[in-house]
Amino acid sequence: MKKYILKRLLQMIPIMLGLSLLVFCLMYISPGDPATKKLNAMGIEASPEAIEKTKEEMGLNRPIIVQYMSWLGNMLKGDLGESYHNGMKVGELLKKASGYTFTLALSSLFIALLVSVPLGILTAVKKNRFIDYFIRFFSFFGNSMPNFLISVILMYLFSIKIKLFPVIADSSVKGLFLPAMALAIPLASRFVRQIRAQVLEELDKPYVQGAYARGVKNNIVLYNNVLHNCLSPIITLVGLSIGTLMGGSVVVETIFRWSGLGKLVMDSITYRDYPVIQAFVIYMALIYCVINLITDISYHKLDPRVKTYGGTK
Amino acid sequence: MKIKKVLALLLIACMLFALCSCGKKEEKADAHLNVAVSFAYQALDPHLDYCGWNTSMYGICESLFKIDASSTAKPFLLEKAENDGTKWTLTLKDGVKFSNGNKLTADMVRRNLLRAAEVNNRFEYLAGFNYEVVDEKTLVVDTRELLPTLPSDLASPELGMIDLDSTTDFVNNPICTGPFVPVAFTPTGDCEVKRNENYWGGKVTLEGAKFFYLADDESKLYAMQNGEIDVYNSVSAAAREVYSQDPDTYKLVTIPATRLQFYCLNENRLDDSLRRAITLIIDKDNLAEFQNGTVSTTDGPFSRNAAYGKVNVPKTDVAAAKELLEKDGYKLNGDGYYEKDGKVLELKICYYQARQLPTIATALDDQFRKAGIKTVLQSEEDPDATYVKTGDFDIALYCMIADKAGDPYFGLDAMFRQSSKWAIGGFKSDEVETLLDELKVETDTAKRAELANKIVQLVVDEDAFGFLGLFTKTTVLRKGVSGYAENIPFDFYGLEATSTKE
Repeated sequence: MKKYILKRLLQMIPIMLGLSLLVFCLMYISPGDPATKKLNAMGIEASPEAIEKTKEEMGLNRPIIVQYMSWLGNMLKGDLGESYHNGMKVGELLKKASGYTFTLALSSLFIALLVSVPLGILTAVKKNRFIDYFIRFFSFFGNSMPNFLISVILMYLFSIKIKLFPVIADSSVKGLFLPAMALAIPLASRFVRQIRAQVLEELDKPYVQGAYARGVKNNIVLYNNVLHNCLSPIITLVGLSIGTLMGGSVVVETIFRWSGLGKLVMDSITYRDYPVIQAFVIYMALIYCVINLITDISYHKLDPRVKTYGGTK
Repeated sequence: MKIKKVLALLLIACMLFALCSCGKKEEKADAHLNVAVSFAYQALDPHLDYCGWNTSMYGICESLFKIDASSTAKPFLLEKAENDGTKWTLTLKDGVKFSNGNKLTADMVRRNLLRAAEVNNRFEYLAGFNYEVVDEKTLVVDTRELLPTLPSDLASPELGMIDLDSTTDFVNNPICTGPFVPVAFTPTGDCEVKRNENYWGGKVTLEGAKFFYLADDESKLYAMQNGEIDVYNSVSAAAREVYSQDPDTYKLVTIPATRLQFYCLNENRLDDSLRRAITLIIDKDNLAEFQNGTVSTTDGPFSRNAAYGKVNVPKTDVAAAKELLEKDGYKLNGDGYYEKDGKVLELKICYYQARQLPTIATALDDQFRKAGIKTVLQSEEDPDATYVKTGDFDIALYCMIADKAGDPYFGLDAMFRQSSKWAIGGFKSDEVETLLDELKVETDTAKRAELANKIVQLVVDEDAFGFLGLFTKTTVLRKGVSGYAENIPFDFYGLEATSTKE
């Protein structure tokens, strides 16, 4: 297993470097430059001399490959550079934003799982009954509603009408609840549908029919066998969702003024803030790779038939 | 009986105490203002990037000049500013001091201007001036070339005064001259300020204020409705509707501001009569209507109220436009579009996704189609790197602050100079160039306005540019709140010594 983990970690290096090079090149192909964006940020036209001097200071007049290599060299030394837009340390910006995003992602995932696992099982067990239709209707509803609409509805209900939460939230638990809910609702809706499908698939399998024929109790079959066998696909789902959530949700973060990664990277793209974008790409690639690795390892732990190294048995 | 009297007295005392407590509590609570702001910067250091905009808005920092409601830069920290050719004698007011009690001196002003030149490339030109400190209150600035716009430049919030000797934390706690001092600041986030007890300008009414960084319009509306904020500007059209329905709770103040929506017609691709026809077709009132009162129509780049905003523009006349086109050989085809030599007349309108330009592009598309001209709408992410750079447009939409600080030169220079980026549209006028040179050095305000009007008239007469609208500055204030620079058309003013909350 250790060898496998080491191998996977080594495989990450070319993936991340390739990705960063790709993003670096794409950013330079796209029109616009950070110096002009920075100086004209408030709609005041800067003089060509000021733009040229800023470009020089930012090192934007150097060849692209030199800029990339310089960035890469610094990154390997642990220096992610400074933001072109506001001069702040990229490492600090990422650290601060990912703290917020991590909290928000885990909270919304926790809420989503708390709701979707029992509801998913319930809809499968009560297939084509009223409760199944009822839950599925809401899961379609939650899945199809855009994030900004859910956010605004939640804010209207809980802040304006019931006055339970403030509109201007801080990073406390109270401030976290509404943005977490806004992300958890569509997530739980998707989970319910997928868990239902998975449980139904398992329920149709011969071992379940056999267990019932042998007189094993319904709950034992459901919780000891069916649910256990459904765990692998659910874990994949959760793993992928963590990746998506860590990327941040710009809309939710903006509405609830949650200073997470999504908002940071969107602002950085707007201002052509290459150092932040580069660091974000590397960071996200790393997160996805690590989550994939954890997911693969957990497959093996949950189902020893799945061999994590050297193929499957 | 006695007991009853004692009880009654005790009860009255309790009630009086409760009333007094209530009064005290209310006064304390009322003295704080909660404000939503749409931009947040990395530092409170006014000299850095655009940070000064917020530092000024927070009431922390002040500049030598201040722009008033009529867009005129007036001496503020200065007693007077006298001009003799390239020399400006700046005399500081008596008793101007920083929040720590230190005096603002002429030498400190000099050092501040040089620091701004050093850390902000937009103000690098200040380093080229010659500064002579005559005495503690007098500074002579030799601009080396005539620079009548110096007062406007010195009114920029980026040129706010800091006590450079005492400030140790420029990011979080610059020591300035404003009516408020920072209490807590989060880079690119919120800021809390309290009254400057040493304020040189007299009594500061409010005890303090908190500025919340809220970028989303809906969030600002809900926070206002929920009583979490008391005032903000840049109110959206939808929120205006809501506030205007409840005048007992909210006061809306709308004034024309300085952000200009305009278009450039490409003279390299459109001949004179076609450009005139386009000018005649465009209905500015209709465009403003589409934007739900967030812009007011304009004739030139500046407000009609300004002395340098007087220009005659042709009125919308679609029939006259059609006549021009037909005289030029265009004929309506079966689809209802004009064509010449078998080629359908098609205009490429370029725009970008900001400042309501997509709305304008869509409305223009409608206006042109109705007049028989086909259009192709092209949206770009970065105009400066695409159509403004390549010139691949018939009509280029753009938005910028034309009136930076109460003077026309900056905007006209940025748009109409032969060396400006807009020369890509083919507009070249030696007369305009000469007038711009004159405007650059003209010191008489009335003559400056006259020159500016002449320049814009020449541009308008050539149908090189068209000026669609000026964004309005709309401020919403909770009832009882006043003095949040709601009548000044610049975004960088806000909290003042006289800001109140009843």
